[in-house]
Parts: sequence; structure tokens; C-alpha cells
Amino acid sequence: MKTTPQNVEDFIQQGLPCEYIRVEGDGRHFDAVIVSPDFEGKGMLQQHKLVYQVLGDRMERIHALSMKTMTPAQWAKQQ
Amino acid sequence: MDEKEIALAQIRKTVTENPVVLYMKGTPQFPQCGFSGRAAQVLRACGLNNYVAVNVLEDEGAWNYLPAYADFPTFPQCYINGELIGGSDIMAAMYEQGELQELIEKATATAQ
Repeated sequence: MKTTPQNVEDFIQQGLPCEYIRVEGDGRHFDAVIVSPDFEGKGMLQQHKLVYQVLGDRMERIHALSMKTMTPAQWAKQQ
Repeated sequence: MDEKEIALAQIRKTVTENPVVLYMKGTPQFPQCGFSGRAAQVLRACGLNNYVAVNVLEDEGAWNYLPAYADFPTFPQCYINGELIGGSDIMAAMYEQGELQELIEKATATAQ
């Protein structure tokens, strides 16, 4: 059963409140932009660890995930 | 010691005794995964050529136990002065901000 970008978005949002999320991918490699208030006060490594913890063992279905993680404030600055 | 303790001790030794370590799939010359290749490229862009690269496809201890050691499930993993920096995304982002170069300079300076 192939994992779709929508699956990945749902997996992440089930465990992390997201102000914005966009996932693209071919079923094996995925690129995600994730904006969450839970990233506040965390360094990039901690932000990525949080996403991996939320994904848990579903990571096995996601061969490779490239992430850009931002707080709502960082995201607003980029708009 | 059991297999896990041996592997964890080996990882701890490698990352603490070397200023910069990259655990990757394949080697810097022949990366076996896009992300690992990108990580090696970023280190090369920092002007770093002599660092310890561990091919996790040939190191079962690292393959099985590095994710638990680091509480980080994927490869590659870059360590500077024994600390996990992150995967290729974080390395690339830190490189763009000039942070990675700074960390490497400090780590390799004290190592001489």
C-alpha cells in the first residue's frame, strides 16, 4: 500500500497542531513544510525530532522525509 | 556486554574522539542515498576533507543502534564534538546561515 503525501500530512497532524502543512512526494521520498506553534523555543534538531516522534513507526512507510520546520512567526515573516 | 552495549560504546567512542563524524549510507565518494550524498557535499563545501565517515550499510552496530543512541531515526547523522547536529536538511540550513562552518572551525581547531 503506497503512502501518499496526504497520508503523511494526516500522520503529522494527528500528533502535532499545524498552522500550515504541505507535503509533496512520490510515495518514497517526501518533502514537507510544517508550521507549528509547538516548535516555539526549539532548535531545528528538536523540531525535527518532534516530527519523527509524532510519526513513530510510520517512518518505516516513509522511506525518506525532507523537512522544513517553522514557527508561525517565522512562517509569517516568509509570506 | 551484549551486542547493544558494545555498539553504543563504539558509537560513543567514535563521536567523542573525532571532531567531525558523519554516519551515512555509502561513502563520501560513493554515497548510496541522496540525503547522505548531500550531507557529504555540505561538509566538502565547508572545506572539510579529513573527517570520519562511517558507512552504516557496512556497520551493523551503527545501523541497528545509532537511532536509539541519538533518539533520531534516520541517516545520515552528523556529529560535531560528540553532539548530534542533525540530518542533511539541518546541515544544509546551518550551512546557508554560516553556522556549520563556524562549528567545524571551532571543533577542528581545538583538535589539532
